[in-house]
Formats: sequence, structure tokens, C-alpha cells
Amino acid sequence: MEPVAGQVLAEQAITILKQTMPFQVAADGLLRKIAALGRRTSYDARAVIYEAGNKADDIYIIVSGQVEHALEPGAQARRPVKLLRQGDVFGWAALLEKYPHRLAKAVSQETTDILRINGEDLLRVLESDPDAGDVIMSRFATMITRDYTVPDLIAQLRRIHRRMHAGDIQGMDLTLYRFRQWIRSPRPYLMLTGFALFLSVWYLSVEVWKLPRFREMPGLTTVIKEWANPNPVYGLSIYTPEYYKHIWVSIRRVAEAFALATLLGVPFGLFLGWSKKFKEYVFPVFELLRPIPVLAWVPLAIVMFIATESAVIYLTFLAAFFATALNTMLGVQSIEESYVRAAYCLGAGRWQVFRHVIVPGALPFIFTGLQISMGVSWFSLVAAEMVSGQYGLGYVINTSYTTVRYPTIFIGMITLGIVGYTTSALVRVIGDYLMQWRTRELALGGQ
Amino acid sequence: MAAVMRAEATQPSAIRGAITIDNVVKIYDPDGAAVMAVDHCSLDIKAGEICMIVGPSGCGKTTLLNAIAGFHEITSGRILLDGEVLCGDEKPKAEPGSDRIVVFQNGALFPWKTNLENVAFGPIMQGKLTKAEATEKALGMMADAGLAGVEHNYPGEVSSGVRRRVEIVRALMNNPKVLLLDEPYRALDSLTKSVMHEALLEIYYKNRVTIFFITHDLEEAIFLGHRVAIMTTRPCKPKKILAVDIPHPRDYSVLTSRRFRELMEETTEAVHEEALKAFAAGEKEG
Repeated sequence: MEPVAGQVLAEQAITILKQTMPFQVAADGLLRKIAALGRRTSYDARAVIYEAGNKADDIYIIVSGQVEHALEPGAQARRPVKLLRQGDVFGWAALLEKYPHRLAKAVSQETTDILRINGEDLLRVLESDPDAGDVIMSRFATMITRDYTVPDLIAQLRRIHRRMHAGDIQGMDLTLYRFRQWIRSPRPYLMLTGFALFLSVWYLSVEVWKLPRFREMPGLTTVIKEWANPNPVYGLSIYTPEYYKHIWVSIRRVAEAFALATLLGVPFGLFLGWSKKFKEYVFPVFELLRPIPVLAWVPLAIVMFIATESAVIYLTFLAAFFATALNTMLGVQSIEESYVRAAYCLGAGRWQVFRHVIVPGALPFIFTGLQISMGVSWFSLVAAEMVSGQYGLGYVINTSYTTVRYPTIFIGMITLGIVGYTTSALVRVIGDYLMQWRTRELALGGQ
Repeated sequence: MAAVMRAEATQPSAIRGAITIDNVVKIYDPDGAAVMAVDHCSLDIKAGEICMIVGPSGCGKTTLLNAIAGFHEITSGRILLDGEVLCGDEKPKAEPGSDRIVVFQNGALFPWKTNLENVAFGPIMQGKLTKAEATEKALGMMADAGLAGVEHNYPGEVSSGVRRRVEIVRALMNNPKVLLLDEPYRALDSLTKSVMHEALLEIYYKNRVTIFFITHDLEEAIFLGHRVAIMTTRPCKPKKILAVDIPHPRDYSVLTSRRFRELMEETTEAVHEEALKAFAAGEKEG
């Protein structure tokens, strides 16, 4: 029987696809692409559409009419013979991994209209939208095992290849991949627009409109000129070694305090969450000390530590420690009881549960804590440097204020912002790197 | 499938995994107000049997499971596994162990380990196999269970149906005597559920462990179980025990058979009665 090619409007094909089990969940855009692959063919009554063993290339969707579909014994179907009607899909052997030939004989029972789609072409279209494609393929698998009663083993469908699938790449590659995705997305441009708006408000309100409250403020251009001036009016710019010394001292202090807070705070928080008894002893004291602001600690720090340097690091450390420990504890408490129980069931001991369940389970919270901790480190550092110290960005801001060098205050502030942001981002990147499982889960959720 | 049927025909006399629940009572005492969750419950589960526990949500079925698994103490009575006391008067709480593995309602694959690492976890923790040996065995078992291809994915990346299968394979890696399933398919859609039922039976025909399966779905219970214990609503004890005389191996054609419908009719009323009581008592689902 020669197939008779018919002209089909894409809309009609889409309507038919929407009535089929595998395709009914697909979005209109994808359906349109699939429908475009369709070729309409008509068969007379009793025409053999294909025989078992024929090469499997197309899949068939019944537009109207009836087809008898008899699976050969090799397909191991429990109910091999099936009468197919409008909206049924057959010829799915074209999508199977191991069987590129027909597993059944298909015979039209009356004049039957068919939409044929080439399996290879279909896969290619599905690969263009791998997430939706996976859904369609899994519905194919369900249809084959359920409606055609073919066992799972035979119903192994071909896989959709993802050109660059987050699930297949690891570590640094994943981070780079995400960065490239980010560059390609509209997000960086929105970000740049945001910055441009912010800077223009500054520029306009100070230098163009000269708004009353902004009269004393240095303008955007003044600050930038000073910042990039080889001979700065007030002594500090990107050309002076002093500038880098301040940055370096601040970074070093934050790094020391942050490292100390992490080394002490994470184990402390883990034990707080893990041992009820330990928590009973310690947590009330912890909660009492936590709300005391850094500035209130200053006198004590100066009395306790004779060296200013240690006092500054101590003050910076304090808030970071509280943030890290608290989040770590919450992380342990957030772990579902069933994970711990499952580990005990599987024969893990108490220490193994700690190492394989508690620590990795709390990691997302720990890293949230570390990001907060990095933020408060900078916050406390500046407070501490304003009080004591000869170097550092906080010191720059404070002395520039007392010596009326306003543009330098802004240089200090902006530099703090940039350095602070960079260090926080660094913590985030390390967290993503250590928690591949979470990064991938979020990636699948489209975040 | 053919091989499976032959295995069934020879009917290996299941050797181990008989659970005896003897007069177990569990009273919760949260705020001084004693709540009886399990009331003098006795139930014998034969080795190698699929025993389905059916009851309305919150009836205390899970309390019973937790007692067998060793997550909770019991107030009185005893539970025995192959004649050995798991918990009783001397020690109210059983030790959790790899001879009784729980498959949890919401799944408890560790999301931070790949599916393969999850499956290999048990024997490594028990020190029975080295990491390399466990990994090799896990790969083999996953392939047997039709899970080839998802080994290196994290649980969060695969469908919930696949996750449940991985979890059952993770349990079977330890040659448990008993699998304790706590409404494992509750969150699955009905299509996936039907696929999962047949997959579970297929695994069961190969492994023949005792299965203690909690559900509130009567159809699921009769389709899978050798026996179905219908429990009263809180406090929980068997109201009616139904022997399902449909021969194993079963497949989905059983659902449309006359005998299946008869059994459904026989039991629906008993279950409905308890559901009404639970509803009237305002039990929280759980």
C-alpha cells in the first residue's frame, strides 16, 4: 500500500498530539515543532502498515480509523494483541535503545489516517528542550509498559542527549559552565543597568541638581578623579602604595578572624545541634552573649588584649563566630530524622552517622552561616578599626572624617563594598563546589 | 519474567524473617495525658511473607513499625524476630540493625550521596565490604533492578519512582531478613504507583524477604499481599486478617479478576468503618 501524502495543517496535528499519552503534557511551542515533523498518510482497510522485523524508523499516531497491533513473542508482552484507535501511538520501537526493528505487526482495520513522525527527528527536537523531552520520553516508557504490557527490560528508551547538561559535569567545569550561562542570560545587563541608575542618581543629585542635603557630599566625578589620580589631592588613590596596604591589612584581619570563627564555630555548632545535653549547658549562655553588639565589647577587648591588633581581630571574630555557630546548629536541627534513622538501619554507628549524615546534611546551612559570617566580619572590622588601629579601611574612613577629606571617605567605602562583595562571593563559590548535589538539584529546579 | 515464574513455582521455603508481635502496647505520654497508640496488638508474620498493614491515617501503624525497627520503645509486650527477642520487658527498645531495614514514607536516600554511594553505604558502614567491593556489588544490584544509568546521579536528579527503587535496592544490599515499608508509594501518582508495584513484586520474587508493608490503600494491599491485616483506628490492633488466595506471581491483570473484586468487597466495609472512626476522632494524618 503506497502511502498517500496529505496536506495537514499544523494546528490539526497539534490537536491530535494533545490527545496522545506521551505528548499531551508538552507545551504548545514544543508541540508545534513536533507537529512540523509529521507526515500524514492514509491506509486502506486490511493494509499492513509494517511487519515485525522491519526496520523501525517512524512512530505512528492514529488520526482516525483503527489498527490492530500484534506484538511478537520476543516483546514478552502479557497481552500482545491490542486494537488501537484515534490518539493511540504505535511504532514506538523507533525510540527503543536496543531494538531498531519492529516488534509487532500493525494492520489497519478500516480506512485509517496516520500521522508519521521520524524517530530520529523527534529525538532531535526533544533534545532542543531536554527537560520537556525527558518528560515525554518517560511518558512513552510508561505507555509501553502499561498499555502495551511490555516489560521494563524491553522498554528501554533511547536517552536524550543534553548538549551541556549540568548533571554530567563536575566541580570547576560546572562553575565555569554556570558562569557562561550567566553571561549569556539577561541578568548581567540588568545588573549593569542597576549600577548605572544608582550612579546617575548620585551624579545628578550632587552635581547637577545640587539637592540641599547633598551639598557637602563629594560628587561622583570628584571621587572618581581622586581615586584614579596619580597625585591624589588627599593622599590616597589607586596609585599610592598606602591604598593597598590598607586593603591588605583589612583583608588579613578579616581572614584571620573568619578562619578562627569557622574553625571554632562550625564544630561548636555541630555539637550544639548533635548533643542535647551539650546544648542544655551551653546554649542559654550563648544566646545571652549573642545579642551584645560589637561596639559594646570594645572596652573589654582593649582591657583584655594589650596589643591593638589582637583586640581588633577578637572583635571581628566575635560576631562571625556567633553567626557561624548558630547557623550550623540550625543546620543540624534541620536534618530530617529519617536520614539519621536510615543510617542506623543500614548499620552505621554514632560517629559514622555524625560524619556521613550530620556534617553533609548541615552543610547548606553552614555555608549560609559562613556567608553571613563573612558579612558581619567586615561590619565588625570597620567598627573595630575605627576604635583602634593604624591601618585598614575602617581606619581610613574614620581618619578621613576627622581630617575632612571627604572624597577619601568615599574611596574607603567603595573599596570596602567591592572587597566585601568579593569575599562573600568566594565563600559562595566554595560552597557550591563542595555541595554539587545541591547545586544540581537547584539547577534542575531552574534556580 | 519467565525466570521469575519458575522461581515462584519451586516456592523456596523462606528461611528467615518471621516476626512475632506479642501483646504489644504503646502508650505515648506527651503532656501527662496518656495516649494509647497500640493496644495489646498480636500478629504473626511468617518468614518470606508479604504482610500488608492497612488502616486509616494516624491509626498507629507507624508506631508498630518504629517499634520493630528500633526507633521507639514499647510500653509492654514483646517483639521477636525468628524467635529472638528484639524488644520486650528487659529492653523496651530494639537496637536498629541491618536485618530490618526501613523504607521511609518520604524516602530517605541521602541527597548528598550519589545513588551508587547510597546503595553501597550499608556494607561499608558495617565493615563487611571494602569501598571497592561494595561499589562493585552495588553496580551489579542496580543493573539487575533496571537502574543502570542513574548510578552517578544524585537522588534529587531522578524521578521519585526511581528514588524508591534505589532505596529498596539500598536495603537489599544488606541481605535483610525483613523490609519495613512505611507507605512508600504514598506520594507517587497512580501511574508510577502501578509500575512500582510490579517492580516491587519482581524484586520480591528474586529475593524473598519478609515484607511488612504499611498502607492505607486497600487495592494496593490486596494486590501485593499474601495477607492483609486491617487495623483498628487508634489504639491500633488487628481488626480482621485477610488471607489473599490469589496465587503469586501476580501482575496487573489481577486487578480486574473476579476474586480480587470479591476480596475488595469483603474488606472495604471494615476499612471504611475504621476510617469513619478516625475521621470522627479527628486524627491528624501522618
